Amino acid sequence: MPDIFITDSEEKDSPAPTPSVFPEPKTATQRERLTGHTHNPLASYSYFPDNVTFENREKEEKIILLLRRHPVTNLTWIMVGALMLLAPVILTVFPFLSFLPARFQFVAVLGWYMVSFAFVLEKFVVWYYDIFIITNERVLDIDFYNLIYKEVTDASLDKIQDVTYSVGGVGRAIFNYGDVLIQTAAELENLRFQAIPWPDKVAKILQDIRMEEKKAKD
Amino acid sequence: METIPLIGISIWLIIKIFVVIALVIYLVFAVVVVRQVQLMTETLKVGFEAPIKLFAYAHLVFAIVVLLAALLIL
Repeated sequence: MPDIFITDSEEKDSPAPTPSVFPEPKTATQRERLTGHTHNPLASYSYFPDNVTFENREKEEKIILLLRRHPVTNLTWIMVGALMLLAPVILTVFPFLSFLPARFQFVAVLGWYMVSFAFVLEKFVVWYYDIFIITNERVLDIDFYNLIYKEVTDASLDKIQDVTYSVGGVGRAIFNYGDVLIQTAAELENLRFQAIPWPDKVAKILQDIRMEEKKAKD
Repeated sequence: METIPLIGISIWLIIKIFVVIALVIYLVFAVVVVRQVQLMTETLKVGFEAPIKLFAYAHLVFAIVVLLAALLIL
C-alpha cells in the first residue's frame, strides 16, 4: 500500500520561517526606496549608505546606518569663520596695524587668512570624520577630537544591554536631533551618539537589529 | 630709531626672523594636517575624500606661499 498521507519528515519538522523585522534591501532598487537612504556624502543620517567602508570592516559586515552630528551644530564655527574672513575689512576703517610698515601689514593679513582657512578646515574635517556607524554586527563610534587625535570605539550588538535616546532643548526639538546612549556589557560601558538626527529612529533601528540578531542565534 | 643701539641691527629684521620661524613651524603643522587627512581617508571612505584632500593640500600650498612672501617681502 503506497504511503499517501505521509508527509516528508523534513518538511514536517522544519518550522515556518520567521518574518524578518528588519527590512534589509536585497536589490539596489529596494535600497533606493528606503526612507533615509541618500547619496549625499555629507549627510548626517544615511540608511544603508552606498560606497562607504571603514578600516577593519569584516567581509560580510553590512553598514546599516551612518550618522554624524546634525548640520545645525556647525552654525557656530561657520559664523566665526565668516567673521574671521571679513575681519581684515575692519582694518580699512580701524587701522590697528598702522604702526607696522606696509609690507608687514600685508604679510599679517595673509597670515590671518591662512589661519582662518585652517580654522574652517579643521572644524569641517572634525565634523565630517566624527562618525557613528551601525552595522549588522556592531556599533562604532569614531571620534576625531582634533587633527591629531582620533579614538575608535566599537561594541558588538550582542553586548548592548540598553538603548536610551533623549531630545532636550528648543534647538534640538525644532531640528529633531538628540543623543542616543548605548549601555553595553563591554569594557567601555557606554557609547554616546551625540547630536544625531532622528534619535528615535536610530533607537528603533538598533532595537530591530538586536531582535534580528537574537532570532538568528535562537 | 629702528636700529637697535650697540648691535646695529634693524628691529624689523629681528621681527622678520621671528615671523619666518613661526611660519616654518606653521608649515610643519600644515604638513601634519595633510598627513592626518590622508590617514583619515584611509580609515573611513564615504565619498568626499577628494575635496577634503584638495583642501588640505591647498592649505599646505597657502602656508608655503605665506612663508615665501615673508622671506621675500619682509
